[in-house]
Amino acid sequence: MQPQALAGIRVVDIVGTISTSYCAKLCADYGADVINLEPDEGFATRRLDDFLTDAVRPEKSAMHAYLNTNKKSVQISRVDAQALIASADLLLDDGSDDESAAACMAVRSSICWYGKSGPYADFVGSDAQCFALNGMLRGIGPVEGPPLIPTGYQAQVVGGLTAFIGSLTQVLAGELGNRTEPVHLETSIHESCLCFTDVGVVSSYNLGIEGYRMGLNRFPPTYPLGVFPCKDGWLGVTVLTPGQWHAFCELLDMNEFTEIALFETSVGRLEAVDILEPVIRERLLEHSAEDLFYRGQEATIPLARVPTMEELFEVDQFVERRAMSQATLADGSQLTVPSVPFRLYETPPHFGGKVAGLGEHTGEFA
Amino acid sequence: MAATHSLKGIRIVDLSMGWAGPLTVRHMADMGADVIKVESCERFDWWRSWEATPEWIEDDGAEKSVAFNLVNRNKRDITLDLEHPEGRELLLQLVATANAVVENYSGSVLPKLKLGYDVFREVRDNIILLSMPAFGSTGPWSKFRAYGSTVEQSSGLPHLNGNADDPPTMQHVAYGDAAGGLTGAAALLVALRHQAKTGAGQFVDLSQVEGLFPLAIHGILEYSATGAAPPRQGNRSDHAAPHGVYRCAGEDEWVTIQVFDENQWQALCTEVGDSLTEFGDLQHRLANLEALNGAIGHWTIDQDAHELMMKLQGAGVPAAAATTAKRLLDDPHLAHRDYWQWLDRDVVGRQPNPSAPFRIGDKPIPIHSPAPTLGQHNEEVLGDILGLSALDLARLTELGIIGTRPRIPSQR
Repeated sequence: MQPQALAGIRVVDIVGTISTSYCAKLCADYGADVINLEPDEGFATRRLDDFLTDAVRPEKSAMHAYLNTNKKSVQISRVDAQALIASADLLLDDGSDDESAAACMAVRSSICWYGKSGPYADFVGSDAQCFALNGMLRGIGPVEGPPLIPTGYQAQVVGGLTAFIGSLTQVLAGELGNRTEPVHLETSIHESCLCFTDVGVVSSYNLGIEGYRMGLNRFPPTYPLGVFPCKDGWLGVTVLTPGQWHAFCELLDMNEFTEIALFETSVGRLEAVDILEPVIRERLLEHSAEDLFYRGQEATIPLARVPTMEELFEVDQFVERRAMSQATLADGSQLTVPSVPFRLYETPPHFGGKVAGLGEHTGEFA
Repeated sequence: MAATHSLKGIRIVDLSMGWAGPLTVRHMADMGADVIKVESCERFDWWRSWEATPEWIEDDGAEKSVAFNLVNRNKRDITLDLEHPEGRELLLQLVATANAVVENYSGSVLPKLKLGYDVFREVRDNIILLSMPAFGSTGPWSKFRAYGSTVEQSSGLPHLNGNADDPPTMQHVAYGDAAGGLTGAAALLVALRHQAKTGAGQFVDLSQVEGLFPLAIHGILEYSATGAAPPRQGNRSDHAAPHGVYRCAGEDEWVTIQVFDENQWQALCTEVGDSLTEFGDLQHRLANLEALNGAIGHWTIDQDAHELMMKLQGAGVPAAAATTAKRLLDDPHLAHRDYWQWLDRDVVGRQPNPSAPFRIGDKPIPIHSPAPTLGQHNEEVLGDILGLSALDLARLTELGIIGTRPRIPSQR
């Protein structure tokens, strides 16, 4: 049995934000020695809802459990903390405490909302703001508005994932001999979220035009694309190429559309949406979403089931792949959480794992 | 040593196309890995176009795709007809010099080309193969096709967005693609680290759909913890009020305002003035949300969204103008941080390029070369790395195995 892929790397998280926690989670689930250096009240993630109804505070936050499998929790004095930070290959923080981070001798990775420079540097950040300021929010929702905010912690998770890339690169650079000095890496959550819209930015620059909100579940550059009602549920549709359009017409028994030149291109179909949409909606309602999904995929059309939260736990594809696994909280209660979304076959990740109670590992480091 | 040399000495053969795979590998290229992108004149990256025509070829359309150019910078590009035995053999020779191969074809493509992890291992026993199909490499849906939009639809995320009376609502911008690109980079780095430490390669299986689960985590965990999924409730939050997007002066101009605690509420009241005095604590505000949103909307509607954002943020209230893609090039924050790097590129001229989202020090990591043109580095890669002569290259060109111009795919 080979050691896990990130074995031998020590990661110390001194802030426990969602971003640092997700970055550290990827490290921990692949075998790094991840230590949460928690304050008296514990990291703020311990106070995030939703809470497991039968668990005991402060160990019952589902979000904290998800983010903190396979890590250690330590509460020690500032003096001892310096020694621990000095032993880290990767220190995770939010860039606000240079004094504590000064002991870092390897990679310090600071994840903050807008970076440490620029006119937004001191903004009070939020996930919604990142989607407002990356240009994505304006495209979501009904034409008349208001634009609809993407829910949850999406920007912070993206920030953590992005920081993981930069951080592990720098750890690896040290091991490869490509970096010989300590380094301070900064990840802006806002800039991390620009990866979703940078193509639109540069396209606007080249075309000299501004995008606009086309309506709920309607987006450039093609039609049909969206979530459509069927007889018994929702079907995700994306038809892009001429081949997919022909196959989609065949699937819905509307072959007469394949003879119309305008409909051969994605942009042409989008222009003709008022003609196409009533027919497509009517045809889709005659069928079961599941039936169309399988028959469509067989015809190489990228159709999708649009699973509910409940179905995510039940769909064969996800069950077979162990896409969900069990986190075990400090009091022994269990929570089903998503597994790491990538699998190294020879050095697999932990699937789920134990979540440390507050200060559980203090004795190892005090 | 500069960040652009962090992955010096690592070579990656990039067979991926579209957005997710190329973005994964671009992160490696940005940090100094030698990335060789392999296309063919007929099976070129579909992000150059999915509707190629002779006119498009004549017009150099293959080199004008913004999307392609953004995710393929810092790479070298060669063409090899992998359906020709000689093209396939040259790919394997290249793989023999590499640390990793990345592919995101649909499940049937590599087997059809008689390629795959076992074949790559025969020429390089410690090779890493990152395979990133939409649904992963195993399971009943492993061969199913998807775009980034399909990935979003399949992740359950649309059930968490939008208004209760509307259908599950997509965020789109091919959301699964960029997210998959980031997850792919994370996966590849984990495998590269293991390879650097132990000398061993392995197969890495990434499901792009599962890669979106962390972005839907709030819904997944609520269901898991309580047995009930969260309802779609538009811009409303149970933990913040106001929490919405409010119309500002101008056409389709909006500002987000979110008040998460009482300090922020008091600061907002100071800015807005008398019209908010009737509202009390969070529970009271949630109970009177329509009136609250009306009062705030009345206050914002004549104000400039950007100025309002700066004013509210200055007072400690979370707020952001809903900007547009076009305006981001002039965004003062990004300009201050030199986020956009301008590079000259053949055919399209001077273009803005987004920096890597992490930086060392004040400045972004410099981009050393724009996206390559089709087959731009045939001579450099096939000559310098594989030792082919000018005569060999001319013969391969004659056979159509390599080239620098796209061709409309023949029926084979």
